Amino acid sequence: MAAALRPAILRRIRLSPSPLAAAASAASHPHALARWLSRPMSSHDAHLTRDEVVDRLLEVLKSHPKVDPSKVSPEAHFEKDLGLDSLDTVEVVMAIEEEFKLEIPDQEADKIDSLPLAIEYVANHPMAG
Amino acid sequence: MAAAAAAAPTRAEVLSLFRSLLRTGRQFSDYNIREYTRRRAADAFRENRALGDAPAAAAFADGKKQLEVAKRQAVVYSLYAPKAKSIMEMKLQ
Repeated sequence: MAAALRPAILRRIRLSPSPLAAAASAASHPHALARWLSRPMSSHDAHLTRDEVVDRLLEVLKSHPKVDPSKVSPEAHFEKDLGLDSLDTVEVVMAIEEEFKLEIPDQEADKIDSLPLAIEYVANHPMAG
Repeated sequence: MAAAAAAAPTRAEVLSLFRSLLRTGRQFSDYNIREYTRRRAADAFRENRALGDAPAAAAFADGKKQLEVAKRQAVVYSLYAPKAKSIMEMKLQ
């Protein structure tokens, strides 16, 4: 009985990991295929949720040496609420660039003077990771 | 060049120079040099924040020269990058 089943079982086991079967199973799940295709070519997560952006931005602000962590909120203005000057603001924006692996052009960076604007910019940036 | 350097820089120009210095400083592979350039730029800009027109123009011209030095040195230092990371760069587990 067992000897009769053996070839049948082996054939099954050998077949399933073949590339053809993998491709077929990937094709039947388009999302799986997309994930499989995008994974090795992209070093960052394609999707960054707004909550995640807000959390990480708050963390960046709180860890800045001149910022009082208790004053940091998602609505905070860098100069009015956190007491930063224009030089500190430049440093904070640079820290945000580093955190999200972005390069913010000067013109855009000059406009970012509050957390709502920073959240808006990072959340809408396709390369933010 | 001399005429341009004589005029006091605008606020946007100063912030742009500061940003360029920070950006260039970030390229150094050695942690200590990276941190030094960041500190050096921030301290100098803060120290010179209340300068009058003429000294501000001189300081701005000097800053631009320092930026060129930093850019050059970032390239030179990249050829002699440290083999090990500084302990300050290690993430706490």
